[in-house]
Amino acid sequence: MRHPVFGLLLALILGGTLSALSDRIDPYHLDVLIGVGINVVLAVSLNLVAGHTGQFSLGHAGFMAVGAYAAAAVTIFLGPRLLGDDPPGGLAENTLFGGALLAGGLAAALAGLLVGIPSLRLRGDYLALVTLGFGEIIRVLLQNFEPLGGALGLNGIPAYTTVAWVVAAGAATVFTVGCLVRSSYGLGFLAVRDDEIAASAAGLDPARYKVVAFTVGAFFAGIAGGLFGHFKMTITPSGFDFSRSIEIVVMVILGGLGNTIGVILAAVLLTLLPEFLRPVAEYRLVLYSLLLIGLMLARPQGLFSFRTPRPAPRS
Amino acid sequence: MSTPLLQLSQATVRFGGLTAVDALDLTLGERELVGLIGPNGAGKTTAFNLITGLYPPASGSVTFAGRPLAGLPPHRIVAAGIARTFQNIRLFGSLSVLDHVRVAGNLHRTAAPWQALVRLSSFRESEAAVTRRAEELLALFNLERFRDIPARSLPYGEQRRLEIVRALATRPRLLLLDEPAAGLNPQEKIELVALIQRVHREFDLTILLVEHSMKVVMGVCQRIAVLDHGKKIAEGPPAAIRRDPAVIEAYLGPDHATALFHH
Repeated sequence: MRHPVFGLLLALILGGTLSALSDRIDPYHLDVLIGVGINVVLAVSLNLVAGHTGQFSLGHAGFMAVGAYAAAAVTIFLGPRLLGDDPPGGLAENTLFGGALLAGGLAAALAGLLVGIPSLRLRGDYLALVTLGFGEIIRVLLQNFEPLGGALGLNGIPAYTTVAWVVAAGAATVFTVGCLVRSSYGLGFLAVRDDEIAASAAGLDPARYKVVAFTVGAFFAGIAGGLFGHFKMTITPSGFDFSRSIEIVVMVILGGLGNTIGVILAAVLLTLLPEFLRPVAEYRLVLYSLLLIGLMLARPQGLFSFRTPRPAPRS
Repeated sequence: MSTPLLQLSQATVRFGGLTAVDALDLTLGERELVGLIGPNGAGKTTAFNLITGLYPPASGSVTFAGRPLAGLPPHRIVAAGIARTFQNIRLFGSLSVLDHVRVAGNLHRTAAPWQALVRLSSFRESEAAVTRRAEELLALFNLERFRDIPARSLPYGEQRRLEIVRALATRPRLLLLDEPAAGLNPQEKIELVALIQRVHREFDLTILLVEHSMKVVMGVCQRIAVLDHGKKIAEGPPAAIRRDPAVIEAYLGPDHATALFHH
């Protein structure tokens, strides 16, 4: 994927093929496929924040929750009024879903902006704690907000998510993050991660880069949330808890911070792995922890990074 | 004299009970090349950090081209026209040599960030212009053959040079060099003197140089200010500074009349 546009073409072919085949794939594999796609969106968007910009965030599931609820609210409350008697699967339905996803993304982006601004003064462990706290606050707020179902969650979300939508969202995420990071503007994300003081001496505004990373990352997490809700057809606040955030973080670290292709592979791997490990499903988080520890010992630069490990950024 | 380019008046920086820079007055005119020297801990780097907005002044003021700098964050001060290098080299660990210069060219990029997503011809032209200017700068400083390698794997002297190039890419009017000769061998120091003179001449710049190497300072500076314990104890042309008893005392202690400065 030397050029982002080639990546888009690749996604077009992939999406077309998978959509054409989706009638022939059995529902189980289709589920797994959609799950993989959603996780790719989540991992690549978190990679912009944690990988490229170096802002360790443990609240990605919180942004996902905001997007999932906002998108579901649009289709559940506005859908019946807007759709009328249009046939299912038609243009109107897909337009509504597109709008719902966009609403989910924008709501999450707003949350990202709100978290990003106060978090600017924090770095490292402190930022991780604040984002962790944010994720938990979102979850608890949703649990206690009855109009959106409270602890029982939202049910009866229409199943609008298709393979084509997921591939499109994945491609849009990879394309956006790829284009941003490869532009001369986007080099600033890496510069801010490497050395904030040197970055400001090069005329870059570290605070602004961090807020942009948080907002764009949250936007795509929100879209992933929208896809997730319209795929599972039911969402509960507990589905977006801390362990969900950790899963996404593990994908990013496993793939290699800042390495988009590696992160995509890791997202695929870590979505498929639990499917093969169903018999020992209760030990999933234990396995994740062991995987992380082993990785830190053996390949601190990430499983799929083949450049030399870079020295730890100086304070 | 016209408006000075940089003016510090009674500028003071305190860290708790320690006054690192004490009521410093310093004036730089357009296109001057001024040295700032002093023993270790005299407050030279603190003065740089004050000018570049890393530390706020406890009292006094810093004015650049008639505009007060107090309260401006560091990147805004760079945008106003003051660029710097660091005593302990600060390069970006994951950027190539070329990207160091490209990223510093951002101030003069014509395309907005979001245009990276639409990739119209205006965006491609803007990116090409940034890259072209970066390549030109690298070529001017004989770094073009290192273009694509990670900057941290450059030889030490080249890392120092790259920091200067990165600073120049922001198109400054005033360049602050913080001990550019530190860690260089004698041959490299001679090259550095030539480099500073060339930058001063060709880029139409004002330069303020903090340096321990007397050879470098005496070789290039038109005027020298001497700091000791945060206070300016002398200021004048190199020949006068060399003979100044207060300076000799600050460097060698009160009993040494003979000097390091007479070589």
